[in-house]
Amino acid sequence: MNALVRAELLKLRTTRMLRWLVLATLLLVVVTIAANVSAADADDPALALHDPALLGQVIGISFGIPQVLMTVLGALAFTQEVRYGSITSTFLVEPRRSRILLAKAVALVLVGVVIAAATLFVTVALGMVLISAKDGNVTIGVQFWQVVVAVVAAMALYGLFGLALGALLRDQIVAVIATLVWLGPAEHLLIDVLPEIGRWTPGGATFGLLQLGPAIATHGTLLGAPVGGLLLLGYTAAVNGLAFSVAPRRDVI
Amino acid sequence: MTAAIELGGLTKSFGSVRAVDDVTAEVRAGRVTAFLGPNGAGKTTTLRMLLGLVAPTAGTATIFGKPYGELADPVRQVGAVLEASGCHPGRTALDHLRILATAARLSRKAPLRVLDETGLADDARRRVGEFSLGMRQRLGLAAAMLGDPAVLVLDEPTNGLDPQGIRWLRGYVRQLADEGRTVLLSSHALSEVEQTADHVLLIAHGRLIRSSTLAALRAEAGAGCRVRTPETERLSALLVAAGYCVCPEDGDLVVEAAAEQVGELAAAQGVVLHRLNPMARLEEAFFHLTEQPEQPSPVDGTSLHRATT
Ligand SMILES: Nc1ncnc2c1ncn2[C@@H]1O[C@H](COP(=O)(O)OP(=O)(O)OP(=O)(O)O)[C@@H](O)[C@H]1O
Ligand SMILES: [Mg+2]
Repeated sequence: MNALVRAELLKLRTTRMLRWLVLATLLLVVVTIAANVSAADADDPALALHDPALLGQVIGISFGIPQVLMTVLGALAFTQEVRYGSITSTFLVEPRRSRILLAKAVALVLVGVVIAAATLFVTVALGMVLISAKDGNVTIGVQFWQVVVAVVAAMALYGLFGLALGALLRDQIVAVIATLVWLGPAEHLLIDVLPEIGRWTPGGATFGLLQLGPAIATHGTLLGAPVGGLLLLGYTAAVNGLAFSVAPRRDVI
Repeated sequence: MTAAIELGGLTKSFGSVRAVDDVTAEVRAGRVTAFLGPNGAGKTTTLRMLLGLVAPTAGTATIFGKPYGELADPVRQVGAVLEASGCHPGRTALDHLRILATAARLSRKAPLRVLDETGLADDARRRVGEFSLGMRQRLGLAAAMLGDPAVLVLDEPTNGLDPQGIRWLRGYVRQLADEGRTVLLSSHALSEVEQTADHVLLIAHGRLIRSSTLAALRAEAGAGCRVRTPETERLSALLVAAGYCVCPEDGDLVVEAAAEQVGELAAAQGVVLHRLNPMARLEEAFFHLTEQPEQPSPVDGTSLHRATT
């Protein structure tokens, strides 16, 4: 298993995709934080400059797009091998295919955690500097640490979510488009328009997990962080359960 | 000696298409076995079932008595090059092999060794996307050789190779078999394996129609000749009357009979011949054997002709 995980990490390291992903994540995080802190205002009910939760909220928001990118990375882990035909040699090396899926899952969790941790350093530092510059409230309290843990967990779970989606759909284009449409406009629209339903979607659960209710002005309608986290975990487990039972049985043509 | 590869009643249906139909065969070690059949005959599907990539509808396929999926360390026992198998174009050849070697817990030196063996040493650090078809084929072969396996399964390995490459592959495959390994390679052209294969498995429409040595197939195919005459119709009628199979081709006649017999018959009947060339009839035998089973077997030259065009 160890060898398979190392091979999966090597796969991720030997193409340019991971590098682009890390770069894009850093860039997006910086831009989002800068935009959100400059939007924060003393009287703004959503992002209040003197709210002790501000730093956590800004960090939570900044990981929105990185989560989508992580899902895409997960989806590509399987579909790219199908597209380029390397899935054949992968399965020849290890014919027990669920072990391949498991190795990919472990590798994606590792990568997700490392990206999240690395990005958090940048995020927190930048957030603190920018908020201080506006004389805002920089509090590193319980809620801040909860958000930090939530961000790392969400990045890991979204990678797994993508992996399972890719293993089920197999087609790279279909999997990526499905990911982008669902995690982008579809969920956000649901959460905005029908929060009662939207909060139960994976994205809604993530907003809850990251305690973003006040920041996206749906305070009170989102799930609490523990419930949101469990729900996201449940979704990920369910789609992975399906992928692990269906994908290994299919013919590899 | 026991067979390295055994197929027993192997069958695969894709919906209503029976791609492989009850194939039973053995492949022995120490020789090159050609899996021969026209496009769509079911070669790739059979090989994929053998390698555990496609689940058979019925039957079994084993290597050293076990299904591929139950082999311990399969990469050290079986190497395979398959159609439509490849590698991310952005990766270097060396990285591709390192990934496989890592997953299979092979030595770190294995990738460089196989790159050297397949003549890709100088291209090791180039991206596979820049590779020509032939180079990709060699890379596939390099990947197959990573674990120094005793069994090699190659699906149309000459695809994309230039004449030098084909010659190199022949020598390589021959050497592997002489080392005692089992080589099973598929091809759709007899001419490609004529000089390499010891044994031939002939498949058409999913069915195994012959398993024999190439020598036996050649003997069975018998002699033939190509003859040119200004009196095509008369000679054709005479030959058919004499019980030979005749087939018009580009103004010539292709006859399933030795050149001597045709020459003597023409002389006896006073037919002028412009040319008389003996020819190997193996290629025709191949076409003959693999043609549509629904069609009646050729009784005269015309249906044989149809099968060859
Ligand atoms: N995934 C699939 N779905 C449906 N039919 C298939 C599939 N794969 C193969 N077939 C059919 O099975 C038959 C055998 O195909 P196969 O690829 O095994 O032939 P082949 O002998 O390898 O041919 P070629 O020389 O062209 O490579 C063909 O009729 C093909 O159309
Ligand atoms: Mg084929």
